[in-house]
Amino acid sequence: MKLAYYPGCVSLSTGKEMDASTRAVSAALGIELVELPDWNCCGATHVSNELVATGLAARNMAQTDLPIMTACSICYSNLRAAAQRLEEHEIREKVNAVLDRKYSSARIRHALDVILEALTEGDERIVVPLKELKVAPYYGCLLTRPKGVYSPQFPTILEELIKRLQAEPVDFRLKTACCGGPIFMPQEKAAEDIAFKILAEAKKAGAEVIVTVCPLCHLMLDAKQKVLEQKHGVRIGIPVLYVTQLAGIALGLGPEELGLDMNSVSPVAMMEGVYERTAEGF
Amino acid sequence: MARDEQFKQEVLRLAGQEVLTCIQCGTCSASCPTAHLMNPSIRKLIKFCLEGKKEEALHNETLWLCTSCLLCTVRCPRGIRPKAVVSALKDIAERAGLRSKDAAYEQFFLKQIKDFGRIAELALTAEFLLVFPQGAVQSMQMGLELLPKGKIGLKIERIKGRDEVKRIVEELRKE
Repeated sequence: MKLAYYPGCVSLSTGKEMDASTRAVSAALGIELVELPDWNCCGATHVSNELVATGLAARNMAQTDLPIMTACSICYSNLRAAAQRLEEHEIREKVNAVLDRKYSSARIRHALDVILEALTEGDERIVVPLKELKVAPYYGCLLTRPKGVYSPQFPTILEELIKRLQAEPVDFRLKTACCGGPIFMPQEKAAEDIAFKILAEAKKAGAEVIVTVCPLCHLMLDAKQKVLEQKHGVRIGIPVLYVTQLAGIALGLGPEELGLDMNSVSPVAMMEGVYERTAEGF
Repeated sequence: MARDEQFKQEVLRLAGQEVLTCIQCGTCSASCPTAHLMNPSIRKLIKFCLEGKKEEALHNETLWLCTSCLLCTVRCPRGIRPKAVVSALKDIAERAGLRSKDAAYEQFFLKQIKDFGRIAELALTAEFLLVFPQGAVQSMQMGLELLPKGKIGLKIERIKGRDEVKRIVEELRKE
């Protein structure tokens, strides 16, 4: 399978491990990724003018005829929302009037759905089954919104993938709650309160690892975890992995390929547990 | 305060005519992750728009507490997009030259897209701290966490299609 790959700006900075693991897992699953030529920022959640946001997404989508895959839920949401708006003739006319390559149509996919589709039940490529590993499926908000193929409030695709990797999804009440990330710069306290609630809930649910599908969720729960622990005087200590990192571990890829040394909360202890259980099983 | 019909029509144009069908049920407010910090609530914000109360609708912290999570939008029983109303108000406020730390952050963000085509987080943070030095502690903490991991992009990426992106931002904003 051949897909156009839209890394998104975060891949060049705070989400480097998202990018590395996405490329590594795709290669391991025989999915050929062609980086979208000369891609631009999707506008994230900071471009208030909807037509401008639609135009930025349309320029990206017009660069290829292949289905476009991204591992970032914000990019994914923006491209999907724009594709929906571009169905309207009037909007498409206005946008195409300023584009070099004209937009006609696009199919947008998230890495999560591509990986799940590529893995069969009991897939032989899963050389490190994640047996007994308790995983909190954290969707965040934008993977499922605006409304698309998944339920915007009660999605299950992440649990499906976790089970296919032979791990155990925990019952996670706040799985589709917002992480607060989009406002963390100008509205620090509001954002941190929200993120802490999610971490505390994951702890309560007995998670050994939280899995995310968005670099901003990852930043809030992983890079900020230590600061949040200090502020609240509570120990959380739960590693936060991108879904591509979790899948990569199960596929037997090494920590370096998956960028696991770039995670703030070390996943080493969790991984040792996984490897031990695998060794016992053989 | 006088009713500003022109303002109301501008909001409807940007956020959709369906805003007129709001029944003030408050599902949006009840769904919002930052509702407890908002005054006015998101429900009331929509009421201000429909009443043409421009000042009240534009000058508040509510707009900047929206995380864009879209839960209001997927839940609204009238098919209204409350988040689109917030975006419309931000857009109107920014175009009218509103000055605040939050508006500044959005302006810097859009300017980077216009100038480079991509976001350079380090430069964006630096620019923001000039107008909002109180954010320095958080940024330092984040920097100390991310720098040793090699996750702070030091290079500003510039795409080839910068002229096209600039056109998208400038021309479509005039529409």
